[in-house]
Amino acid sequence: MGLFETAAAKALASSGVFLFMTVLLIAAAKRTSTCIALFSVQSLVITAQIVAASRMHHLREGFAIAALVLIVKVIAIPYALHRIVEELKVPRDVSSSTSSSQSVFIAAGLILLSFFAVRPYAGVLGGDQAMLAASVALVLTGGFLMISRKKALMQVVGLLVLDNGIFLAALTTTFGMPLVIEIGIVFDLLMGVFLMGLFVFRIRDTFNHVDVSKMRRLRG
Amino acid sequence: MLSVPVLTLISCRWAKARALPAVLLMGSLAVGIAVAAAAFYGGQKFVIDVSQVASFSFALSVDRLSAFFLLLICSVSLPVIVFSSSYIPRHYSGARRHWLWALLPLFLMSMVVVVTASTLFAFLFGWELMTLFSAGLILIDGDSEERRHSIFVYLLMMHAGAAAVIGAFLLFLPHAGNFAEMRASATSMPPTLRTAVFLLAFVGFGTKAGIVPLHLWLPRAHPIAPSPVSALMSGVMLKTAIYGFVRFAFDFLGGGPSWWGYLVLLTGCVSGLLGVLYAIAEHDLKRLLAYHSVENIGIIYLGLGAALVFAANHSPVWAALALAAALLHCLNHAIFKSLLFLGAGAISDAAHTVDLEELGGLLKRMPLTGTAFLIACCSIVGLPLFNGFVSEWLTFRSFLAGSEMSNFSAAIILPLAAGVLALIGGLAAACFAKVYGVAFLGRPRSREAAIANEVPLPMQAGMGALAAACVAIGVFPGLVLRSLGKLTAELLPGAELPQAATSLSGILPWIALSALVLVASIAALKRTKRLTATWACGLPGLNERMQYTSTAFSKPLRKVFSQVYKADRTVEVVPDGTPYFPVSISYRSVRTTSFEKSLYRPGVDAIVAAANRLRQLQTGNIQIYLLYIFAALIALLVFMRFV
Amino acid sequence: MTLAMNVVQVLLLILMAPLVRGVIARLKARIQNRRGASVWRPYSDLLKLFRKEDLVPPSASFVFRLAPIVVFTATLVVAAFVPLLHGSALLNATGDFVLLVYLLALGRFFLMLGAMDGGSSFGGMGASREALVSTLAEAPFLLALTSVAIAAHTSSIAEMVRWTMGQNFFQFSAVHALAFVAIALVAIAETGRMPVDNPTTHLELTMIHEAMVLEYSGPSLALMEWASAIKLTVVMALLIALFAPWGMAGSLSPLAIAIASLVLLLKMTALVAALALVESSVAKLRMYLVPDFLGVASALAILAVVFTALMR
Repeated sequence: MGLFETAAAKALASSGVFLFMTVLLIAAAKRTSTCIALFSVQSLVITAQIVAASRMHHLREGFAIAALVLIVKVIAIPYALHRIVEELKVPRDVSSSTSSSQSVFIAAGLILLSFFAVRPYAGVLGGDQAMLAASVALVLTGGFLMISRKKALMQVVGLLVLDNGIFLAALTTTFGMPLVIEIGIVFDLLMGVFLMGLFVFRIRDTFNHVDVSKMRRLRG
Repeated sequence: MLSVPVLTLISCRWAKARALPAVLLMGSLAVGIAVAAAAFYGGQKFVIDVSQVASFSFALSVDRLSAFFLLLICSVSLPVIVFSSSYIPRHYSGARRHWLWALLPLFLMSMVVVVTASTLFAFLFGWELMTLFSAGLILIDGDSEERRHSIFVYLLMMHAGAAAVIGAFLLFLPHAGNFAEMRASATSMPPTLRTAVFLLAFVGFGTKAGIVPLHLWLPRAHPIAPSPVSALMSGVMLKTAIYGFVRFAFDFLGGGPSWWGYLVLLTGCVSGLLGVLYAIAEHDLKRLLAYHSVENIGIIYLGLGAALVFAANHSPVWAALALAAALLHCLNHAIFKSLLFLGAGAISDAAHTVDLEELGGLLKRMPLTGTAFLIACCSIVGLPLFNGFVSEWLTFRSFLAGSEMSNFSAAIILPLAAGVLALIGGLAAACFAKVYGVAFLGRPRSREAAIANEVPLPMQAGMGALAAACVAIGVFPGLVLRSLGKLTAELLPGAELPQAATSLSGILPWIALSALVLVASIAALKRTKRLTATWACGLPGLNERMQYTSTAFSKPLRKVFSQVYKADRTVEVVPDGTPYFPVSISYRSVRTTSFEKSLYRPGVDAIVAAANRLRQLQTGNIQIYLLYIFAALIALLVFMRFV
Repeated sequence: MTLAMNVVQVLLLILMAPLVRGVIARLKARIQNRRGASVWRPYSDLLKLFRKEDLVPPSASFVFRLAPIVVFTATLVVAAFVPLLHGSALLNATGDFVLLVYLLALGRFFLMLGAMDGGSSFGGMGASREALVSTLAEAPFLLALTSVAIAAHTSSIAEMVRWTMGQNFFQFSAVHALAFVAIALVAIAETGRMPVDNPTTHLELTMIHEAMVLEYSGPSLALMEWASAIKLTVVMALLIALFAPWGMAGSLSPLAIAIASLVLLLKMTALVAALALVESSVAKLRMYLVPDFLGVASALAILAVVFTALMR
């Protein structure tokens, strides 16, 4: 048990690295299903963070939140999104306005920006500096995904990544929010995804595609 | 002591005899090499001071830095002169030949004066003469309209650069007579004045060296000169500019704030990248080599910039390494660039063209020239066991050391500059694979290339000597590195070359030896060979037009970097109305370098517009002119009264 | 004794190379639901080629026959720099990772020259494409190695391996993770595997490396193929040594060496299986998408270098 403990502790201490890798890979990914899989990996890492934080600070509700996040963000939402992708029968590539390498360069720049933004708080955070930087990077990357990807589904994925970032930021700074608020946020997200799923089918049936950049005729 | 200038002056008078000028010149160069070697390796100092005899301050002195560059000039010029002793009689006759043999020694003498000058007057004297004599040498090859325009641009930019250099010197007034005085007075100069001196020296020497965006004269002037002259201009003359810059930045000013280093680094990156990118798109061999000079000057500036950054961050050891890397690259570039230009001269001698699209298969017909050119290509690409690799490795090592700086920006920028250097090296490899593959390998693409013959012995000897030097420095870099260490110790006080530099000279000979043994043993294995024609997919036979041309080879790279090239393309279809049954279709693609369009042309247009407006002052009416004179007089009286 | 061990390492790399190729081909065949050739097939191919005669075009010069020798020699010398079983290698100098990259460049340069000497269109086409790929692959390779060197405070590959062995296995470093992905991407481009280049294609217009060796036959072709296999094995060994060297022998006792060999076998098998899986599941990239692919590697390498300063 001792080896596992130390190994898990050290791995969690460097989980910021995992999150940066998922940020870069999600920027470079060319298929929608890859992005969804990367999102569930991200959520898994965050679940592990919650478990570690709960053990360290002996918060009982932490485990409940972790279970919630695991069920909803790692299993339910990605599964729902995968089903939508399959049923939608649109081409599987991520129509992006920036090429793969340009996206990775932008994501790298966002990661560096988040590091510099977090620097003033280095004294207060100590070792958690990488975590907070990772959360800012997640927020920025979620925004970048929503801006540059043209498929409606990718907007959802971007929103989910952004929410992951906010969640992680809350976790790092205040060790989580009260249980009720957490449950509320998670269920809001679930509802949002299901609604989006319904709407995506409507969009596809009306316009014959799900390309957001072509929906300009919806203005007054 | 410094008999080189005297002997060259004597030899130019005997221009009538056939072999005598060449022999005399070689003799005086040999003396120059001896003097330089004594000063560089031994540390002796030589001085010629005219100011005791005559009334103007003209003095030459050879300290270690001058000795290094003097060694560079003389030892690279010697094989070039050997080459031209056979090249010039074959291509020039009568008055042109005499002019060439008269101007060559004078050109060399002016370069010697520049690097050994120890007073302002001597330096500028040599500087201006260098420009003048090289322009004269270019003119010997012919003075058509286009050539005169190129020479005009060359002279113009050189004079602008010289003006900046004079400005930099004059800022040292009232001590600007003697270099020693300038060095002493620089320590007490205010920072703004030091910055002004640095910037003026940077611009002035940069124009001569050919950094981007001041490089426009290089691809115009170097290709139109006779090949030995191109070799001297590209290999040796550009280095005198580096000498001037090193003299100013390290010797006089003794380093400065970090932003000087970052400016030089940035210039080096941009010059290196743009130089090699423009070179890839060329198919005129000499223009391509001229652009590669821009690239290599960029690499030298990378080393100089790193040295300045290290000096500003108080680590003289690594500054010494970076400076040694830059200086070694000067020497290496002089050697292999001269060899490349001499090779181009040999090609034009044998095949009467330097257009890559007309060459091919020359290695079989000119084996010695081809082998020497191959060694030069491997050196300029920076492949191990040749001299280009040693200086690039030293530059990499100094960039790596930059990561240990406590200054955050230096710790990031210097290692990233290593990436830029790697990219430049990769592009150079692509370019020279194209050059060698299209010119020397495969099958001849024109009749002249098919009947090309090997060049005569003196030309081969000149090229062979330079190729041997490439390999010697590549395998035994310690030959030059140890004394370079002493040189940098003099320039940057308290700096010894770190162990890192000498470790390479330990391993390279072993690698060379083992590689030689392996290659020889594999080649000695009995392998039977049978000559059969290349498979042509069942078609009647391959002809030489089915090979890749130089333009085709570089197309993928040009497409990837298309933002840099921005060619104007026009397609004309005759007759215009019916696209389906054209009588003729013509395609024209003109590449002007972006700097001409975006930087120079607006500037030129603005000046011309201003001049046009000023022209209104010239009314042609004599009374108006008298009015101008009286108005100036009245204004002067008012000024004197009220001030 | 250390010297003998280092020589054994080099010989192991050279002799194991065709086997690595054979195993990858066999795995790919299995994934594609075929039986596949025996894993020892590349050895019999090499032996067969060495016994045949060299066919040389009449217009070719000595560079045509010299190129395979230079390529093979350069790859051999590169193999001498990589530690395999214990933390030191036959050739060792400060800053030798630059020498390694440039020795590979030397091999590639002569490969391109040999291709142009054949005088056919395919040689020029292969050389031109290889020029594009290798130009863009060299910078991320060098930058990623630089970031690892900076993190290890040394510039010799053997010392970098020893430093990594001394690190904690569970403390993932951002620098190493980024550098690993960058070098893995560059390795695919350098060794000519999918998705950059298909090593088993028969269509000349889709070839990059194969087009350059199209005109070679007999012992020259054997040398080229062997050199290519050695390059693949060396790059894999480099990845293992730099990023996961735990298990290498600390002392030179027979037990330690045996364990090291076993661990090496496991790691190589893992890498080989990963490569076979990747090759079978992605399509070959269109040639003008390869710069994009290498651009991703460049971004990761640049980020790795910046992180070395950030994480200090």
